Amino acid sequence: MERIDTTVAARTGATAAASGGDEDEVDLIPVRTYWMLVRQRFLQHRLAVIALFLMAFLVAIAIIVPTLTGDAYTKTSLSKAMQPPSLAMPLGTNQIGQDMFLRLMKALQTSLFIGFMAVVIIGLIGVTLGALAGFYGGWVDNVIMRFVDVILSLPVFFMILIIVAVLGKGSALVVVIAIGLTGWTLACRLVRAEFLKLREADFVQAARALGASNRRIIARHILPAALAPVVVAATLGIADSVVAEAALSFLGFGISPPEASLGNLLKNFEEDIQVRAHLLVPPSITIVLVVLAASFLGDGLRDALDPRQRVESK
Amino acid sequence: MATYVLRRLIQAIPILIGISVISFLIINLAPGDPTDRFRSGRVSPETIQHLIHLYGLDKPLPEQFVSWFTAFWQFPFRSDAWGYSFVDGRPVVEKIFQKIPTTLELMLTSLVVTMIVSIPLGVLAAVKQYSWADKIITTMATVGYALPSFVLGILLLYIFSIKLNLFPSFGRHTLGQENSFPDYLRHLFLPVCSLAIQQIAGWSRYMRSSMLEVLQQDYVRTARAKGLPGSRVLYKHALKNALLPVITLLGLSLPSLLAGAAITESIFSWPGLGLLAVQSVTTNDFPVVLAIVMIGGMMVLLGNLLADVLYGFVDPRIKY
Repeated sequence: MERIDTTVAARTGATAAASGGDEDEVDLIPVRTYWMLVRQRFLQHRLAVIALFLMAFLVAIAIIVPTLTGDAYTKTSLSKAMQPPSLAMPLGTNQIGQDMFLRLMKALQTSLFIGFMAVVIIGLIGVTLGALAGFYGGWVDNVIMRFVDVILSLPVFFMILIIVAVLGKGSALVVVIAIGLTGWTLACRLVRAEFLKLREADFVQAARALGASNRRIIARHILPAALAPVVVAATLGIADSVVAEAALSFLGFGISPPEASLGNLLKNFEEDIQVRAHLLVPPSITIVLVVLAASFLGDGLRDALDPRQRVESK
Repeated sequence: MATYVLRRLIQAIPILIGISVISFLIINLAPGDPTDRFRSGRVSPETIQHLIHLYGLDKPLPEQFVSWFTAFWQFPFRSDAWGYSFVDGRPVVEKIFQKIPTTLELMLTSLVVTMIVSIPLGVLAAVKQYSWADKIITTMATVGYALPSFVLGILLLYIFSIKLNLFPSFGRHTLGQENSFPDYLRHLFLPVCSLAIQQIAGWSRYMRSSMLEVLQQDYVRTARAKGLPGSRVLYKHALKNALLPVITLLGLSLPSLLAGAAITESIFSWPGLGLLAVQSVTTNDFPVVLAIVMIGGMMVLLGNLLADVLYGFVDPRIKY
């Protein structure tokens, strides 16, 4: 952490000095911590700020609406079947009279939850293996990286299918496990690269000289400094995980009715598309919004947390 | 070159073994065993025991793995190398090799379309950086990238098949027109679009940044400085070099193409490997699922190898 603070401060020192006026008077340079700079850089990324608000909004309605309405989203009522959108039911009802707005909100909740949980698993596996590989090097690194090679050569989606087929279709937990177990390679490689770079850094040498154990050096000294790319990858990973879950549920292997997920709202498309195509629009738009929000948020975080990684974009 | 290809093929062996071990272990996690479907009142427990012994299911797992693995690689010579489908009892080898060409038709056509569309788009966006054309292309690429294949597929289906009635919504042929090529092309159109649009989004962004990087190089400035016409600098000096990293994309996009194929084939009922995979998972047809994962792994490995070899072919700086 220390190292990043000083390098970032050194790099931006020039602009800070320029705005401070006299370059010789060090006292006049306003002190700006790493996190102040991160916030400043993030706020400059307009799309990312919009994405943050959008994501916050989506998460908020996904938590609030289903909590307030309970299990009303599963209620069927044939007398109210196939109603067009109205004030009481903004998205109308499906062929068995379920309120599509409530189903969409519940679906958003389920899909976001699975997406976040999958990213947590991806983070846990990826960070642990990446840290071990990067810190110890040698045969540990070799074994882990060959393992990564194997996973990268697997046809990932088929692999997710096979895991779901074996562990049981229709369970949210299985979907999370399947996406998590196949998706950690990027996080692992990023963390490994950071660890390789940082393990010879001065502050690590200092910690070692002070007699810190390997475990302490990994967890308390290197990891905090190596997390920036993981946060970025995790944010982008939310998009991939939500899409993977939706695809699974769409094919009928993920969340199945009466439960709702963004994918299974589209599952009945062959029939819906002929007679009630308007039912397919809201879930499609919602998926796209989640993906866009997560990817712009990820882009903004990358520019803010780790300016060295910045790729030409705008 | 030949030694390099050979070396890469040898390097691929441990990865293939790794894929096999992982797939085999996952399949073995499945509850119950393959004899379960014989368990009924009409089959005596002795017969079941006999079957378990006959199939080698009482042997330790590593031994089972070795016998499965050695049998697996005899597929060019033995039709029973991958076992028999649980669903219709046909040899898995036969079932899969029947589907591979149809999937390749879809994937390769999409790849060609992707390259034809995305490379000019990326170049245009880079050359006219920050122009309206660039902004439109970049925005479309971002939106295209955020459209999951099933949303895109449904959208195309709705517009072109239901509303405009221009293209058929499912299958490879209209019944009774099995030999008509125009009919086949009409069936191919929507699945290819649905698969290609997502790839185009990724590729054109990649092409744009690759081209932008090359345009900043000294040799491009030198070429301009010595008075070469702009188009010559662009095509002879810049484009040629900007295309190099795109070749790597060829190999890298195979897993996403395969995943996209599974979903696209399901939406448009295109009778390929992806649809077979989805159907086999639905019916718990494990021998077929296992073989498809292995085939998919081999495709990804081969694709990467091909991309690397191609890279060496076009870039003389790379030595083996």
